[in-house]
Amino acid sequence: MFNNAAIIGVGQSEYVRRPAPGQNAHTFIRDAAVAALKDAGLDAGEIQGMAVTSFSLAPDTAIDLAWRLGLSLRWLLQDTNGGSSAMNMLGHALRGVETGAASPILLVAGDATGLDGYAKIAANYNIATREHLAPLGHGGPNGVYALVTARQMKKYGLTKQHYGHMAIAQRAWAAMNPFAVYRTPLTMEEYLASPMVADPLTRYDCVPVVAGAQAIVIAHPDRCPKARAPVRVRAIRNSFNYDNQEGDGLATGISSFAGEFWQAADIAPEQVDVASIYDDYPAMVLAQLDDLGFIPGHDLARFASRDIAERRFPLNTCGGMMSAGQPGGPAGGLNGISEAVLQLQHRAGERQVANARYAVTTGYGMTLYRYGGTAAAAILERMS
Amino acid sequence: MTNGIGIWRCSGCGATYFPERLLCAHCHSGAFDRARVEEGVVEEITVIRHVLGQTEWQPKRVANVRTLGGPLMTVGLVEDAPVGSRIVLFEEGTAPFGRKLAAG
Repeated sequence: MFNNAAIIGVGQSEYVRRPAPGQNAHTFIRDAAVAALKDAGLDAGEIQGMAVTSFSLAPDTAIDLAWRLGLSLRWLLQDTNGGSSAMNMLGHALRGVETGAASPILLVAGDATGLDGYAKIAANYNIATREHLAPLGHGGPNGVYALVTARQMKKYGLTKQHYGHMAIAQRAWAAMNPFAVYRTPLTMEEYLASPMVADPLTRYDCVPVVAGAQAIVIAHPDRCPKARAPVRVRAIRNSFNYDNQEGDGLATGISSFAGEFWQAADIAPEQVDVASIYDDYPAMVLAQLDDLGFIPGHDLARFASRDIAERRFPLNTCGGMMSAGQPGGPAGGLNGISEAVLQLQHRAGERQVANARYAVTTGYGMTLYRYGGTAAAAILERMS
Repeated sequence: MTNGIGIWRCSGCGATYFPERLLCAHCHSGAFDRARVEEGVVEEITVIRHVLGQTEWQPKRVANVRTLGGPLMTVGLVEDAPVGSRIVLFEEGTAPFGRKLAAG
């Protein structure tokens, strides 16, 4: 539990399918940072620390970004843990503020890879990918998670419709998010008729790559603008290389800490009002929810066709990356955290979940060879 | 093309690896023997039909394979081989591929 560190502001840039001339990772990150500082009621000169994650910032690094943003800092971090980067940065920043290393700390995540840049990243993600997967024509992460999804369907008796429920429900949430790149309602007929990308993954199972950035501000709760509830973190846990790639990938690293995580948070899964689950692929959302204990009896099919389809479970209420878009790199993880904060501060507009007090957020990523090697989860709470 | 796929076997505990590791994940020995796996069983298959930004893409078959005597591996299939079938493994450079095991 963090008592002297909380999230006090959020901001984001626009999300676009393709960056326009003059737009790049740096400019999207700047726009998100400016929005978050304004939201937190802070001047840039007050920021003492910054963390950044981006695949398309290179060859620049965090210090270059600090320079370009005119920030003189005493705490600086660049995170390279893919879909877990935002969660990892959140933990480090909370500890940084709590221990007095720096406050406020600005967290930024943004990417603008473009099609060519994304293709290069996908084929050169790590040495294993470059040498052993890309030469097969594995199609980047789509090929990897197609195999994981096929395995999950076989193990749990899932059909395409089960994944379709998630795509449709998240699109319905996205319709109420002005920043989402896809807001037109999706039907099951459209979902099932969409082109096959990598069997069994069809178009709406594959997260759309966009350009954009998110930012949040961590500081002592007293720094939160008046008349707004700061959001604290009751527990946050990470896992790295939890099984040496020797399993089936249907459990994530969250399974390695879930019991102790809920104990530290001192709440039960049933008390969670809003869930931001890292959604690069629907199969991995179900895997993380199961690891967290949200799916009774590990009955993934029933949970998908009832709790998700009927929107009984407020899952990825900004539309998730599947409808709002995933900045083509590690930036997407901050999207879910930002949405959880807006929900807990009762600022989510049309998509507001009534009386939201607790949210769970996760991160998952860094495909090592057969599936992801990083995972993280946090319980966020509205302070009142 | 080279028959079989080169793997690494821990000299301490016998655990098998692909790709190469620096230390054994089980006994943390740093000594490995080279070995080869020749066959495997197809567990899941995907066909990569579309790749972002590629307009001339030809579909590629990729499978999760349980190798006989070695680790799980992601393998390119040069011909159709259904789930559950046995395949012969070979290497093209650093990339593992498989084809159907000839009848008989």
